[in-house]
Amino acid sequence: MTKYLLLVPETLVVAGAAAMLLLGRFSTSRYRRWRSSLPAVAVAVLLIAAAVELRAGADVNTYFGGALLVDRFGLFVKLAVLLATAAGIAVADWGAEDSLALGLAMPMLAAFGVMVVASSGDFVGVWAGLELAGAAGVVMLALRRPDAGLRLLLLSAAASALMLIGLGYVYASVGTAELGGVHGALLGAAPTLPLALPVLVLLGALIYRAALAPLQVGAAHALMPPSPMSIGLVAGLAAAAAVVAAVKISVAVGPVSAVYSPYIEIVAALAMAGGGAAAMAVRAPRARLAFLAAGQTGWVIAGLGTEFRTGVGAAVFLLGALVVAATAAPAAAGGAGISELAVSGLATLRPARAAALSLAMLSLAGAPPLAGFFGEFTIAAALARSGHLELLAVGLLGSLLSLVAAVGTIRVLYLQNPPEEGRRGLPALPVWTRFSTLGAVALCAVIAGYGLFANPIFSLADQGAEALGLK
Amino acid sequence: MIAGLVHSIASQPFGPSPSPATVPGANIFTSAFILSIAIWAPVLMAAVIGVMPNPRGRYDTLIKQIAFFTNFLVLFLLFVAYNQFQNFLPSMQYEENRSWLPAIGATYHLGVDGPAILMLMLSALIGIIAVLASLGIRTRVRAYFALLLLTQACVTGAIAAHDLFVLVLFWSAATVPLALLILGWGGPRREAAAWRLVGYWGAGTLALVLAVVGLYVASGGTSFDMDVVLKNPIGPRAEVVVAVALLIAGATRLPLFPLHGWARDVYADAPIGVSVVIAGSASRLGGYLLLRVLVGGEPDGAKLVAPLVAAVAAITVVYGAVAALRSPDVRHAAANLALIPGGVTALGLAALTPLSIAGSVLSLFAGGMASALIVSAFATLSDRAQTRNLAVLSGVAARMPKVAWLTVLAALGLLGVPLMASFTSNEMTFFGAFKTQPVGAFAVAAGLAVAAIAVAVIIQRVLFGPPNPDAPAVSDSSLSESWYLGLLAGALLWVGIVPGGPKIPGTDTPLFDPGLVNQMVANIPEISAPYSGTSATP
Repeated sequence: MTKYLLLVPETLVVAGAAAMLLLGRFSTSRYRRWRSSLPAVAVAVLLIAAAVELRAGADVNTYFGGALLVDRFGLFVKLAVLLATAAGIAVADWGAEDSLALGLAMPMLAAFGVMVVASSGDFVGVWAGLELAGAAGVVMLALRRPDAGLRLLLLSAAASALMLIGLGYVYASVGTAELGGVHGALLGAAPTLPLALPVLVLLGALIYRAALAPLQVGAAHALMPPSPMSIGLVAGLAAAAAVVAAVKISVAVGPVSAVYSPYIEIVAALAMAGGGAAAMAVRAPRARLAFLAAGQTGWVIAGLGTEFRTGVGAAVFLLGALVVAATAAPAAAGGAGISELAVSGLATLRPARAAALSLAMLSLAGAPPLAGFFGEFTIAAALARSGHLELLAVGLLGSLLSLVAAVGTIRVLYLQNPPEEGRRGLPALPVWTRFSTLGAVALCAVIAGYGLFANPIFSLADQGAEALGLK
Repeated sequence: MIAGLVHSIASQPFGPSPSPATVPGANIFTSAFILSIAIWAPVLMAAVIGVMPNPRGRYDTLIKQIAFFTNFLVLFLLFVAYNQFQNFLPSMQYEENRSWLPAIGATYHLGVDGPAILMLMLSALIGIIAVLASLGIRTRVRAYFALLLLTQACVTGAIAAHDLFVLVLFWSAATVPLALLILGWGGPRREAAAWRLVGYWGAGTLALVLAVVGLYVASGGTSFDMDVVLKNPIGPRAEVVVAVALLIAGATRLPLFPLHGWARDVYADAPIGVSVVIAGSASRLGGYLLLRVLVGGEPDGAKLVAPLVAAVAAITVVYGAVAALRSPDVRHAAANLALIPGGVTALGLAALTPLSIAGSVLSLFAGGMASALIVSAFATLSDRAQTRNLAVLSGVAARMPKVAWLTVLAALGLLGVPLMASFTSNEMTFFGAFKTQPVGAFAVAAGLAVAAIAVAVIIQRVLFGPPNPDAPAVSDSSLSESWYLGLLAGALLWVGIVPGGPKIPGTDTPLFDPGLVNQMVANIPEISAPYSGTSATP
């Protein structure tokens, strides 16, 4: 019975997504009132799933012949993803989205994909969950920008192909696709070149997927930018799926870490410094968010590079903060997020949204006393303990650049006057609704509370790292 | 009570140094959360101000009152704490220690010793003065005062922190609200000022994080608590690295040459209230960091970098004086002059003698007040004279007598003339430093002489020179301007004339008693005072 109870959160999310797809089709005036309450229903489903997960996921066990792992790592990731998706849906401006049905269903499916990755015990589950999250992103992007969707599809397909090659070679080398089995088989293995190549290809594909968002967002889409929710999905949930997969696979191939450690360090350094520098170079809030998220992803990868429990625990902790901020913040900015001028004086007109956007940006930049600061500082300590001082220095520099970028946008939100009424050519501000305002307030509370209650959350993340087999 | 006090004083044996004395009146008021209240009350009120509706500025006055009375409450609490403080107790007081992030050994550990209580008094006083100096703010009042209160909380938190994680948190957190304050309400070059501040202070924060992480790792990687980290030997190589990183962190804040690049633009273009906070308390954190972590925590590292610190101190003072003399802008001149007290503080720390360190502690207070006074007095003067150009400003004393005299007091306070608190701190620093850093002390003294020339030239030209008929119209200071400038000048004079400072009747805690330094350096034989290590029993 217990093992079926464990599947309730996933079932709820998938059923909720299917229901949203079906219910969203009703567009006649008779059902309009119902349609407007669908986001609230979706949020309720996600929160119920999170509550069930908290109850049922507290056990530690394996089911279905090792295919389903129930551990604290999975519990932490699932809670973070469900919360992030709920926050993103709650704060979204549905007037700026292309389809209510798909806008609700795709994030839920992407969340399901991350949940599958988090609780998967073998390569197949990891790959399937990752592809599901990626596919949801492609659908969302393609709704408004088929060309962007196609580009993401091609990039994702390339990453998937690389990943499959890597998985296939690792499977061929060790003779099993189970993560625990891979770890066990590699314990006595020498880090040879034939083993190093597939591992590098595999991790490279994952990192490539994790950092796809800036490729999509950084390019100027002045005429017809993708919808805010699609950016949150790609930058938050799809990237989170890749990072979670990277965490699981890097721990599985940990015994031969010598073959990929330098590579991980270089990637982390590039992401941290490059993310911060790119965030400074662009001005549009949405693009800044994507680059800030890429920079913080670099910190998470750096945490993985430490290869011991505190570092990976801190990376998991930071991943939770990252996925919440990166998923919900683009939705909080709404369609106006594509232009710095459009969000000028947002604090005057939409104070709750401005506060949510500011807190999310500061957290992504690692500013104290928010969750990003706690996570990055802890990873910094772990980096120093593991002797990665050069990586630490680059990361701190990246954080400084990120902070400058975040302050630049917050200044626009709070210290500039709104553009004149009727000024043409600017995207509209998000429509004010009671629900979305409550969503923005809840997002503020989640981001602030993540830092305030860092101890219990970090403790759970640390248990997650322990569950991965790290000492 | 008086008889008891007289008896207790009479019963003290006369000797070369003061003996620990029971503090009459101690423990009248106790609170387990006094430091937390001082830190978090401004944060709470900033949140209240931030969310309270203020349609068309209807509640601007109320918001200003909330900010003022919040700072007043904090000052009152710290005033009581200061009066209850026991000088010769070789341990932290008002401690709060709770587990925060046990996985990495971070604790919410607050506590104060002598220098810290003095810095807290400085910070609280500066907080009130900053609000008074900001009463003229008319736009986005809610955001301004919320950010000001957040800054205040960050400074207080950094002073009270006794855990390096907490120190880094508050130290770095101050940058964001200050940058936003300058960006939102600054002068014509506010962009450059704000980004320079973020750049320099950010670089300082990076150096501090490196030093803290280095200390953490070198001491075993189990705790960030200063009681643990700073008492473990870390090895000579790590000491050099940590000492240099701490010096960079401190020098970006204090600021010291060559890391002073933010000071001119920030002091010249920040709103006056923000300039007061930065010059008065936020920048003093640099000296406080060097004192607490470098000198108090890593004395061997401090010895290694002492000649470098002395050289930097000397260059800073000379540079500040020469740059002020050559500056064409009155606010730039004030910004350059405001570098000088930081140099004096650094000299005292470089000398590493009991007297020089005591002088440095007092110099943090006196220098903060003097820097804030010179920056704000010149800013008020230029505002009231409607020009910052020294070629235009001339002979305004007759038309703005209040500002003129307060500016003269500011200049005297900066130079450290007798009856000013800075006189005492400078004397203590020099007398202490001539023994171990004679060249540095001589250079700093020479720099002060150049500064005196610069101040004399500027004041002669601006205040007492022939009036310029082509200059814009001039008006004297408003009531609030007179109040905040007067409070700054009054604090400098009070501590200079009555060193005991303000006291609750029946207590006996002089503001800059050398005993205040004892707790920090009690475990360092070479620099601790001869009476250190003894404890008073209440």
